[in-house]
Amino acid sequence: MTEATTSQEPAATTRPPLIELAGVEKTFKTGKLEYRALRGVDLSIAPGEMVAVVGPSGSGKSTVLNMITGIDRPTAGTVAFDGARLDEMSEEQLAVWRGAHVGIVFQFFQLLPTLSALENAALPLDFLRRGSTKERFEHARHNLEVVGLGDKADHLPAELSGGEQQRVAIARSLAADPGLIVGDEPTGNLDSVTADEMFRLLLRLNEEGKTILFVTHDRDLAARAPRVVEIRDGRVVRD
Amino acid sequence: MLSGERRLSVTDLLRRPARTFFTVLTLAIAVASISFFAIPPLIDDAMQQEVRDGRLADVTVTMRPLELTEADLAALAALPNVAAVEARSSVDARVLIGERRAPARLIGVRDLADQGVDVVRVESGALPGPGELMADVQDANTGVYDGEAGDTVTLLGAGGESADLPLTGRGRSLPGGEQVQDESVIVLYADAVTVAGLSGEPGYGELALRLDDTDPDAARATVEEVRSTLATVDGFEGFSNLPSIRAPGDWPGKSDTEQFAQLLGVITVLALISAAVLVSNTLSTLVAEQTREIGIMRAVGARRRQVALVYVRTTLLLGAIGAVAGTLLGILMSSALAGYFGTTFWAIDVGFGVAPWVLLASLLIGLAAPPLAALPAIRRALHVDLREALEATGSATGGDDAVDRALRRTAFLPRVAQIGLRNVGRRKRRSAATAAIVALAVGNLLAVLALAESAADASRTSWGSHLEDVQISTAGAPFDERARETILATPGVAEAQPVLKNAVELGGREAYLWGVEPDPLFRYRLAEGRWFDAAEDASAARVAVLERNLAETAGIDVGDEVTLTTAAGEADFEIIGLATNQQENGTALYVPLGTARDLLHRPSAASTYWIGTDSGEDEAADRVTALVEDRLAARGYEVTSEIRYVAERDEIAANSTLTTTIAVLGFLIVAMSMVGLANAITTNVLERTREIGILRSIGARARDIRRIFTTEGVVLALLGWLVGIPLGYLLTRLLLRLVWEVVEVRLPVVFPPGNVVLALVGTTVLALLVLFLPVHRAVRFRPGEALRYG
Repeated sequence: MTEATTSQEPAATTRPPLIELAGVEKTFKTGKLEYRALRGVDLSIAPGEMVAVVGPSGSGKSTVLNMITGIDRPTAGTVAFDGARLDEMSEEQLAVWRGAHVGIVFQFFQLLPTLSALENAALPLDFLRRGSTKERFEHARHNLEVVGLGDKADHLPAELSGGEQQRVAIARSLAADPGLIVGDEPTGNLDSVTADEMFRLLLRLNEEGKTILFVTHDRDLAARAPRVVEIRDGRVVRD
Repeated sequence: MLSGERRLSVTDLLRRPARTFFTVLTLAIAVASISFFAIPPLIDDAMQQEVRDGRLADVTVTMRPLELTEADLAALAALPNVAAVEARSSVDARVLIGERRAPARLIGVRDLADQGVDVVRVESGALPGPGELMADVQDANTGVYDGEAGDTVTLLGAGGESADLPLTGRGRSLPGGEQVQDESVIVLYADAVTVAGLSGEPGYGELALRLDDTDPDAARATVEEVRSTLATVDGFEGFSNLPSIRAPGDWPGKSDTEQFAQLLGVITVLALISAAVLVSNTLSTLVAEQTREIGIMRAVGARRRQVALVYVRTTLLLGAIGAVAGTLLGILMSSALAGYFGTTFWAIDVGFGVAPWVLLASLLIGLAAPPLAALPAIRRALHVDLREALEATGSATGGDDAVDRALRRTAFLPRVAQIGLRNVGRRKRRSAATAAIVALAVGNLLAVLALAESAADASRTSWGSHLEDVQISTAGAPFDERARETILATPGVAEAQPVLKNAVELGGREAYLWGVEPDPLFRYRLAEGRWFDAAEDASAARVAVLERNLAETAGIDVGDEVTLTTAAGEADFEIIGLATNQQENGTALYVPLGTARDLLHRPSAASTYWIGTDSGEDEAADRVTALVEDRLAARGYEVTSEIRYVAERDEIAANSTLTTTIAVLGFLIVAMSMVGLANAITTNVLERTREIGILRSIGARARDIRRIFTTEGVVLALLGWLVGIPLGYLLTRLLLRLVWEVVEVRLPVVFPPGNVVLALVGTTVLALLVLFLPVHRAVRFRPGEALRYG
């Protein structure tokens, strides 16, 4: 297990980090207003870790996630994944990189409503143009079975419950067999029983070698993660 | 300081500036199109001024050149109801322009310094003195002759002699300009003495009168007074054609302008329908998108009426901007178009003008249309369950009806294309309305293209009826046997047939009598009845074959007895056949040549000769025409010629000017529909911004996003094209029916498949062009911004 570092208390790592944020700052501008979401975040996550990011609303935890996935760019500082500098990549390079290396699970599932569960689960492979259509569907069907939805592959999102939709979202995140799965409040829109199931699923994936990083408001859920990073006012205050 | 409720109405517009811009643009174009109705009144105002300035004649009578003394003219001027009288002479000649000989008409004015009617006014240079000429301003305007003051005009006149006369400048008169426009003849003005010198015939062939009372009955009574007075002058043989009585307020080309305006009106109405669908669609989206905010307002205590008012104000604001922009654009457009028509057809400066009722209608329609178009959407949004309203996201989910299922059966397409295709079914109402707008545009485009094709087809058919290669006509003394012998003796002439044409009235309608041989050089097409025979020709039988158009409008059938009013008085005829030919705009009636000669008291006379050449080739027609003109002129005949292939080409070109104008308007509607398509896709992009963020987050590249929205837009455009084909066919039939009812010209129904393909290519290319901006917008979003959007 790797040790995480905080801005206050840098720690030595024994393995090369998968993710490394150094002095990351992010300022959002809305008209004349500026909002400093991150104020110098240093964070290192090793391959195979499971990390929960917690913090109150507006603390900057989702922004940290967006930095790690290349969804947003830092105003200052560097973001590296497996040695590659994300902050230096173009939007197109980032899109291709995300498709191949990161699986993202959103709070509101965010499935395409016109595609079936199977088509949604295969979508990242379509964007990557990896394999034949048949191979993409076989892989997506396998992932749906992994999340327990093999029998609902042809259902549209509207025909699935919230928990089932989130499973499809997880299956989608596994499409390209990425090393990193990121969840932004992945259980935030689920009842406690379903949330528990979802967490177990993430744990299982972590046991299979995936690096898991998720943001949550739920302190109980966070406590079940091997490592918890707390963000407050744009800074890492506890790790 | 605005209340929050009022401020909402403003912010609704500001937060989606692109959509507001497109909606205002659509509204502005639609409102501007109303201004087309202002074109006829603007032209009419300018023409009424021109009629006053030029003292256009109320009555014009024509006769064989008659020598009138000052006393004769004074007697005519003293007749009751005559305010002014002007005697004119004319001679047809040819002008040498380089090696080419162009037909010309010299109009002789009795006293250029003192004109009472149809005044020839100086436009540039000076009035011509004895032995001098002045060109009509329309000569240069229409391109038949561009001579200027200081140039020398070489005239080939009757008698074959040539004369070089100096040009003093350019002048204008409405009748002269009309002759240039209608007959493509060079009109030149000179004093009557100069014209008499060239024609060898002293005297006047035309009297133009201004009347105190222009009522048609009073005018007819005056004509009889004039006839009686002229009867006392030596050499008067009666009027050579029906007197022309101008209806009060009429001017040359007015009825054509009004007929054209009616067709323009139909196109404008189609433009307005397209715009109404478009605006309704956009505003429905605007309201539907804000269902959640409606829920919030209701949750904090707003009554339905208060919420409705917010959106009514928003749409009123949109309407006000669109109405003002459109009205201003319309004023500019109508002034520019009226100016173009005025300059092209009458060489008049229409100037900048505003038709008050059109202005008012533009403002009212622009203001009222958006709130009315948005009412159903506002009503729907207000009646959504409050909880549902509060949970609304603005983005539609996927459905599972027959359309959605059909759209899902496209596994053979790349995934991004599938997503685009399926998205068409997400907002069915919007998709249907967008496709409907494109369909209307495509239908309209196909209809106007078909109309243009149909008009060209009718021209070809009309000219296809002519078996002669050349027509030689005379404006002076009628052709006689000597003229026939001269023509037949000309090298290259294979045959020549005399024709006697004259204007007549049938049941109060203007018609043209054609006296032709029983076996004419003309392909008649009988719909009913029979053609006349040699015996009827020999006995001058009062039988006639009527063109079907004229028969239908006058309610005449085969076997009916009709009364014709001719220059020589009234005559009864039996209608023995109906022909589908369309000569003289469908107003020709054919009688035996012998009958026409007998009726007009001109034995062996002809006004025209139809000539067939040996080879029938274009070069032979050119050569024979020049030879026949020279030989007839040398024998003292005033001749004009019409070479069939040239006239046919010119007529098709003239038709294409009008049909091009209509086509331009058609394309305006297409442009408007494309604004609608861009608007719909922009709205879809805005609505699905978060979705774009998700797609980018899971690896979609810019081109994937581009393909999704391009597919959606192109599919909608193609759907519109598909529906537009049958719609176009129906509109074509409607337009042709309108042409028949308004202009009384029967055009054939043509719907060329090539135009359907052209519309397909045009729709696709235009769709791809207009989709560029919204699709670019979709691609430009950074994932983080997109996910936070809304």
